[in-house]
Amino acid sequence: MVLQLKKEYTERKRRSQNLAFWLFRLMSMLVVGILFVILGFIIIKGFSVISWGFLTKMPTEGMTSGGIFPAIIGTLCLIVGSMIFSFPVGVLSGIYINEYLRNGYTVRFIRMMTNNLAGIPSIVFGLFGMSLFVNTMGFGDSLLAGSLTLGLLTLPVVIRTTEEALLAVDDSFRQGSYALGASKLYTVRKVVLPIAYPNIITGLILSIGRVSGETAPILFTVAAYFLPKLPTSIFDQAMALPYHLYVLATSGTDITKSRPMAYGTALVLVLLVLVLNLAANALRRYFSKRVKMN
Amino acid sequence: MNHLETELSKLKQELFEMWELVLSQVRTAREAILNFDKGAASEILFKEKMVDVYELRLDRDCEYIIALYNPVATDLRLTLAVLKINTNLERIADFAKGIAKYVAKSPADSINPDLLTATSLGDLLQNVYTMLADAKKAFEMENSRKAVSIFAKDDFLDEMHKRSTTIIANYMHLHPDEFEESLNVHSMIRKIERMGDHTSNIAEEIVFYLEAKVLKHSGKNKTKGIPPKS
Amino acid sequence: MTKIETKDVNLFYGEYQALKNISLSMEENSVTALIGPSGCGKSTYLRLFNRMNDLIEHVKITGEVLIDNEDIYRKGINVDELRIKAGMVFQKPNPFPKSIFENVAYGLRVNGYNDKSMIEETVVKSLKQAALWDEVSDKLNKSAFELSGGQQQRLCIARALANSPSIVLMDEPASALDPLSTAKIEELIHELKKNYTIIIVTHNMQQASRVSDRTAFFYLGELIEYDLTVNIFTSPKKTQTENYVTGRFG
Repeated sequence: MVLQLKKEYTERKRRSQNLAFWLFRLMSMLVVGILFVILGFIIIKGFSVISWGFLTKMPTEGMTSGGIFPAIIGTLCLIVGSMIFSFPVGVLSGIYINEYLRNGYTVRFIRMMTNNLAGIPSIVFGLFGMSLFVNTMGFGDSLLAGSLTLGLLTLPVVIRTTEEALLAVDDSFRQGSYALGASKLYTVRKVVLPIAYPNIITGLILSIGRVSGETAPILFTVAAYFLPKLPTSIFDQAMALPYHLYVLATSGTDITKSRPMAYGTALVLVLLVLVLNLAANALRRYFSKRVKMN
Repeated sequence: MNHLETELSKLKQELFEMWELVLSQVRTAREAILNFDKGAASEILFKEKMVDVYELRLDRDCEYIIALYNPVATDLRLTLAVLKINTNLERIADFAKGIAKYVAKSPADSINPDLLTATSLGDLLQNVYTMLADAKKAFEMENSRKAVSIFAKDDFLDEMHKRSTTIIANYMHLHPDEFEESLNVHSMIRKIERMGDHTSNIAEEIVFYLEAKVLKHSGKNKTKGIPPKS
Repeated sequence: MTKIETKDVNLFYGEYQALKNISLSMEENSVTALIGPSGCGKSTYLRLFNRMNDLIEHVKITGEVLIDNEDIYRKGINVDELRIKAGMVFQKPNPFPKSIFENVAYGLRVNGYNDKSMIEETVVKSLKQAALWDEVSDKLNKSAFELSGGQQQRLCIARALANSPSIVLMDEPASALDPLSTAKIEELIHELKKNYTIIIVTHNMQQASRVSDRTAFFYLGELIEYDLTVNIFTSPKKTQTENYVTGRFG
């Protein structure tokens, strides 16, 4: 009798295991599927528009033909600009929080504030950026204002990944360094940071993705509707890919004509992020190797 | 050589020093009795103290090695063997002292050479000396066959000891004025027989150390199972 | 000659008292073992001598900790210099993610030495002292992580020796290693004690008996007994000590 029950139980267990397995499999396939669908959609619809001219020429005829060169340049400038601000500030803050502050109220407070900052909607950032950089500080709609705003946006991400990267460095390395008479600064510079670099670069990667795609913060701070010339100073306005996409898809002079260009822009945007990510990953791997060897 | 090996090597060195000392005691005892040399006898009595010192030192050193290093296998057997050989050596030296004491304290200046010849006292002591020296060589060269060869010589001593009672009794008939000497010599032969036994014990310990084979109480089958020297 | 001494030292982690009135002195060029069950304070005690306890919060220390007759906790002491004098080897080997050469040179560079030939000379000397030179002389530029556990630990020893300390503090240096590596490290300690004063924390009593001249038995933050190692292991004076070394408790 007992044996019979055991058999049934084993059978039921096997069936439920199988069911769960297939459910998980289905879900992950779904995810991959969605990714492919989106990419495929964009590639198919936008591929026809891509050409060397598209990439390097200015938009013409009310943006129904020509290229998106200024938008590409604008986005690149914004990426670099926001990095210049968020990276040093973020990494150094992360180092200060994790290495210099002893665990206490201050640290917890800072962490809480950082998390809150990360949760603020991006359009609010845009508004703030307009208010502070564009108006109060008088930069006007400019690459400077846009970069600063985007920099603020990604700051929490950089701080958090830096902190995680530093936390991941085993304490035994620090102890070993202190025991040899090294100061905290020396230890951080020569032992902790080299180990943490690869993971700090992760922060960079995440930021790139975020910055290139954000539309709301650049709406009021830098983005130009139609500016068929390249920015020459940081105080200039500029076009940007995400905004340009929005414009082409919704309010251009002739929507049906500019629709294919919208898809083309989307494709370029996706490819741009992809390429930058690959570059950052290569950088990460380079640092990983150096960690063992310097 | 690691630290334990160094300590064991020092232990062996110390044992060999004691061994040499005891060998010299036995040799001098033979001279003392054969030549009735009171000077030699008092030398033996004096050196006996050094033997005791060695015994205590070796006991302590073996204890330390076991406590501090937890020796195992060969190292353990070596330490245990040294501990036991040490005790046997002390007993042998003690018997030599007994002989020397008789010579030193005796009011006489000599002993009748006939008595010595009849009992082969000189040969007996020589036999013990050889056994002890062979044992030392066996230990030094880690040669268990050599150790085993000692048992045969001990048989000789046992045999002579058995016969000595008759020999002495006969001698006493012929030399009724030498009762005391005769009895003393008889007691000496007993001592020598005991020295032989202790030397046999030492040989057993050497075999135990080298072969991990216990020969104690195994009667006459002592040579069984000893592999040839490898 | 007394090299290291503590007088009535008490140590508190916040409310918790980890060391109670420890008075102990150690001779120069000797090996002292600290034994006792987990949590008895032996590692805490060890870390007094290079002030690594300073890195922990809410630590309070009373009493005197003397090295060469100087209280190392009085105001004005340069902790970094102290740590050059008293080097430390940790339980789990912790070489830096750098080359073998740079690991050993680290301490020298930290303290401002950058004369190339002097650094090279010191690195070679330290590796020889740590009995590692023969195994790494042809791959000084390889990553330290390519070494085995036992080799890494000897590398950490070389690294500590490069600073020419007079004291070497070892916190269970062999507990993460296999028996063969452990034996190598123990032989190393025998050599090193000719030139350094060594304190070794170990939970392995047989290790304490094999390598040390004197042994201190700690229990729940107190020093129960401190004597020549032979005495602790042949005829300890306190019952508690005897119970511990015979394995009847702890």
